[in-house]
Amino acid sequence: MKLNIDGLLVCFPYDYIYPEQYSYMLELKRTLDAKGHGVLEMPSGTGKTISLLSLIVAYQKAYPLEVTKLIYCSRTVPEIEKVVEELKKLMDYYTKQTEAKNDFLALALSSRKNLCIHPEVSSLRFGKEVDGKCHSLTASYIRAQHHCNPSQPVCQFYEEFDAVGRQVLIPPGIYNLNDLKDFGRRKGWCPYFLARSSILHANIVVYSYNYLLDPKIADLVSKELAKKSVVVFDEAHNIDNVCIDSMSVNITRRTLDRCQTNVETLQNTISRIKETDAAKLQEEYRRLVEGLTEANVARETDMYLSNPVLPDEILQEAVPGSIRTAEHFVGFMKRFLEYLKARLRIHHVVQESTPQFLKDIYEKVCIDRKPLRFCAERLRSLLRTLEIADIADFSAITLISHFATLVSTYNKGFTIIIEPFEDRTPTIANPVLHFSCMDPSIAIKPVFGRFQSVIITSGTLSPLDIYPRILDFRPVTVASFTMTLARTCLCPLIVGRGNDQVAMTSKFETREDFAVIRNYGNLLLEMSAIVPDGIVAFFTSYIYMENIVASWYEQGILENIQRNKLIFIETQDAAETSMALMLNKNKISANGVRNIILIKCKRLFISFSFQPPVHHYGRAVIVFGVPYVYTQSRILKARLEYLRDQFQIRENDFLTFDAMRHAAQCVGRAIRGKTDYGLMIFADKRYARADKRGKLPRWIQEHLTDGSLNLTIDETVQLGKHFLRQMAQPFRQEDQLGLSLLTLEQLQSEDMLQKIAQIAQA
Amino acid sequence: MASLSEEVLLVVKRVRQRKQDGTLYLMAERIAWGPEGKDRFTVSHLYADIRCQKISPDGKAKIQLQLVLHTGESTTFHFANESTALKDRDATKELLQQLLPKFKKKANKELEEKNRMLQEDPVLFQLYKDLVVSQVISAEEFWANRLSLNSVEHSLSNNNKQEVGISAAFLADIRPQTDGCNGLRYNLTTDIIESIFRTYPTVKQKYAENVPHNMTEKEFWTRFFQSHYFHRDRINTGLQDIFSECAKEDEKGLKSMVTQGVKNPMVDLLSLEDKTLDEGYGTATVPTTSNSSNKSLRENSNSAIIKRFNHHSAMVSKAYTPLDILTSLFVAFQVKLQEAIEYDDLQGDSGRKTISLNLKKSDRYSHGPIPLQSQHYSTSQDIINSISIIQHEMRSYKPRLTQVMSSSAASSAITALSPGGVLMQGGGQQTINQLVPTDVQSELKHLYTAAGELLRHFWSCFPVSTPFLEEKVVKMKSNLEKFQVMKLRPFQEKIQRQYLSTSVRPQNIFWGGNAGIWQNGKCSKK
Repeated sequence: MKLNIDGLLVCFPYDYIYPEQYSYMLELKRTLDAKGHGVLEMPSGTGKTISLLSLIVAYQKAYPLEVTKLIYCSRTVPEIEKVVEELKKLMDYYTKQTEAKNDFLALALSSRKNLCIHPEVSSLRFGKEVDGKCHSLTASYIRAQHHCNPSQPVCQFYEEFDAVGRQVLIPPGIYNLNDLKDFGRRKGWCPYFLARSSILHANIVVYSYNYLLDPKIADLVSKELAKKSVVVFDEAHNIDNVCIDSMSVNITRRTLDRCQTNVETLQNTISRIKETDAAKLQEEYRRLVEGLTEANVARETDMYLSNPVLPDEILQEAVPGSIRTAEHFVGFMKRFLEYLKARLRIHHVVQESTPQFLKDIYEKVCIDRKPLRFCAERLRSLLRTLEIADIADFSAITLISHFATLVSTYNKGFTIIIEPFEDRTPTIANPVLHFSCMDPSIAIKPVFGRFQSVIITSGTLSPLDIYPRILDFRPVTVASFTMTLARTCLCPLIVGRGNDQVAMTSKFETREDFAVIRNYGNLLLEMSAIVPDGIVAFFTSYIYMENIVASWYEQGILENIQRNKLIFIETQDAAETSMALMLNKNKISANGVRNIILIKCKRLFISFSFQPPVHHYGRAVIVFGVPYVYTQSRILKARLEYLRDQFQIRENDFLTFDAMRHAAQCVGRAIRGKTDYGLMIFADKRYARADKRGKLPRWIQEHLTDGSLNLTIDETVQLGKHFLRQMAQPFRQEDQLGLSLLTLEQLQSEDMLQKIAQIAQA
Repeated sequence: MASLSEEVLLVVKRVRQRKQDGTLYLMAERIAWGPEGKDRFTVSHLYADIRCQKISPDGKAKIQLQLVLHTGESTTFHFANESTALKDRDATKELLQQLLPKFKKKANKELEEKNRMLQEDPVLFQLYKDLVVSQVISAEEFWANRLSLNSVEHSLSNNNKQEVGISAAFLADIRPQTDGCNGLRYNLTTDIIESIFRTYPTVKQKYAENVPHNMTEKEFWTRFFQSHYFHRDRINTGLQDIFSECAKEDEKGLKSMVTQGVKNPMVDLLSLEDKTLDEGYGTATVPTTSNSSNKSLRENSNSAIIKRFNHHSAMVSKAYTPLDILTSLFVAFQVKLQEAIEYDDLQGDSGRKTISLNLKKSDRYSHGPIPLQSQHYSTSQDIINSISIIQHEMRSYKPRLTQVMSSSAASSAITALSPGGVLMQGGGQQTINQLVPTDVQSELKHLYTAAGELLRHFWSCFPVSTPFLEEKVVKMKSNLEKFQVMKLRPFQEKIQRQYLSTSVRPQNIFWGGNAGIWQNGKCSKK
């Protein structure tokens, strides 16, 4: 249908529309008009992606000079594929409506592993291997060598692309990863580099967060993207952690040992080259004096050695004299390494700020701040000069140099924690230096600064005000949309007590309590008997899950559950888990049987964030306990302190916020769309408190009545049974129409528009 | 003796049956027993007729073997040869164990099918009683027509018959019982054993290797239940455990499954993340504890339990996953993506293919959960309000009599509609409901359906194209006559005796008419 969103003609590729989608588009349009940033929360399963895409594409078509590009960031590869698929659908609709040829170029970009078509390289399984192998075939000096020595292997796809493909624009269309590969195969061009060069003139780019947030990659890939772009972060509930991760470094003794060998290799190579080809080093020295840090020509293939974050001014300056010659630099690195080794030789925990660290390093080994800042850049130059083929071997020294640059660049927002051993195993010495970023705004700041509109959206962003605070930006629109429902298809229940009235909670003091574990087991058992499809059960941590599963086994609870459903338990091994998932999936597709219980650990789930698999069998989701992070961790403590000092966010507020967003994320998976239905069970009495409950997304809170708080297991079973029975009745489109599903005519009526205006709430 | 031509598989002497000594013969298709000194069998059962065999417990003085037939009868054999009784019995048992399942499948399927049909369809059952039990037609004749009716549906269901899966809880169902003196007793059935074999192929392999060369079946299962393999959480006892290898094999199998990789990219957790952080970056601590050296014993056993459950579930679900689906997964990725982005309710004409409900027992479905009333309870205030409103309205209520019809017209209408009135002429037959008691009515109904069935058999012979059919026509004719004599006449007489009224006549006429048509048909044919 064709919609009129605030004066903009939007093609929407469906015949019906949800009211909240309309409202979402209105808000989005306002944000784009104001050229500002926005935070939008809309429940999962209400067609966020298609609303976003329809509106922004329409906007691009209407005002091609205002918005030149859409950069859509998602979290996982399947998500990216999904977005492209929706885009294809939209574009098909456009061509059908206008009958004009599509002149839009949209493409997905992913790592080499997903795009490589080189027969040897692409057969490797791990991303790192693929990257390393690719580098050894395409690095600029390798190609130069190939020029004089044809026996040196190079990647013919890259050569072909470099010779021909660079000048030719990829024809307009929508390309997902496979399409890119097909296109590359047809032309004989490398799809990865083709995609990377094409994103500059593409109208829509879909890739993962890291290409924008991780300064190591962003600098290479996304540097030249136009300012007049709209950036969308989908599933952005975890965006602060992504930011922090990209800026943090851990150094263990093993890293240092490997770094030591790296330094030795460098030294040997230098002395060898000095005998044979001294002019090369001389040339590098000359370049460094002139301040030309890098000849940008061949840079795109040398991506491993990019700089973490270099403020622009450094690029203008010359590399300081003390590390300009190769030997001096290696000596400098050696000194730095020795210093770090000495720091790791401690027996108590040390926490210090970056200025403290810099002062200490100056006093102990006379290393100044300025050369440290150039460390990463200098190493890159050296590795290029020495023509090191396999760059993956040098990851340790690269890590150290990144650390050096980061530590000397930022005064604020970072902390250094040196732990001599892990808390759980105080007898085993395993010193780790955590260089931890505490301020997610550092990594995302360039994004907010550079692009005219940044939209942060997800199904679970509540409480909305916290994201602008921790990411340090000023949004023009902040809105949360509820789900209009023709029937209450979600049923959140808070179970606080067992049948024996013992409080159920994963609170640290009582979590090992026998009664609590038994009650948890009984809850799962009873639910497994009444829920017709699959159940997903989440635990707060892996260790807790292991313990509980073991004691359930001893008590025979698992056996009884097995009578009702098959059980799969997530393991720490991702490969094993995905195997289990695949077997499950097969079963589902084969027989339509979905009697499975997935027992998962909360945190692992988050780190993998697999949304798709859970969908199909989450008829009920049970969250055992409140998924607080491990609060004794020093890194977390430091971060909480920082948040309190800098952003005036109290520790407890942040912890609860973090726990509740994880919980909401888990239960949010129960509902796939308006026709779907699901039970959401929070098994912890603490959920009933107002401060926890209030932080759930509005669309869940709405259905959480006072009658469903602090229930016993029996009551839960009763309510659940009642709910499931009601939901199993046939549900037709007519039931929804006019309430939660609108035709174009209904949309245009006056009172509906008024109703829609109420959907969005700031 | 006809049985001489049969292949005799086993002969056991000195077997008593009903206190009579004799010899037990196990032949290719039946088991037979003949008293000593006589050359005929007094007991002979086809294997297909045997439901199961039971043996006397080990400690008992009498060593016996009982055969239970499908009909419910049973025959007990007492092995009386003192020295070798136990051995004889076991040999018989073993052989029977091998033979019975073969026949079971063949014979019982049909029997079960018939049984099922009779149970599911009460009308058919009544018909069966009327026609077969009262020996109007033989059972074969009855079924000949029936089964072929269902044959289309039957063959369909046979073709894509679902393979029976394994219950997830089969291990949980093997409940040990304490026998009072610190021992445990496990009851194993062939089903359970098959489940174990299918879920744990390594155990099957072990079984094939060891039984019966190294140990008896019983010993094998005893060891199995004692083994660390069965109780994964316990600490491995030692190397003499034959199942310790199984665990390793399983591990290997799981590993190979993992290394093969996951074909479905939607669930491959390894490739979900687009660009993982390099080692050393990020806040998450490096999992250094994963090496087993510093893992406590408890943690190890915990993860063993988890592994065991996952393996178990994987094997169970694999047991009924056809292989071709595994391979076709990758192709289906695109379809899956499509599915994932589809919102069917937003689509206009959702041409969704629905699967029609195929109900075998419709009453079971219609007596399902009753839809609950909507939850909007009215408050007492609401109720009071509405009552007062109604009262208020009633007070001011005045019947508007001008629009009602005149009383004379109304009374004439009532007379016309009451019995004997103008409109109620010819409604006399209605009273049959009141006149005839229900048992007669139901008898009548049964007779009617039985007659219908017979006629159906009869008419299905036309056109009489083969000699076989002609023969059948004649037979059916005699059947019909038999039916008339045995069933209809007595009924008619009974009715006439009791109610000398016209009420049975329609039935009579109906029958006569049919017979006339049939006579005509027959004449025209002859």
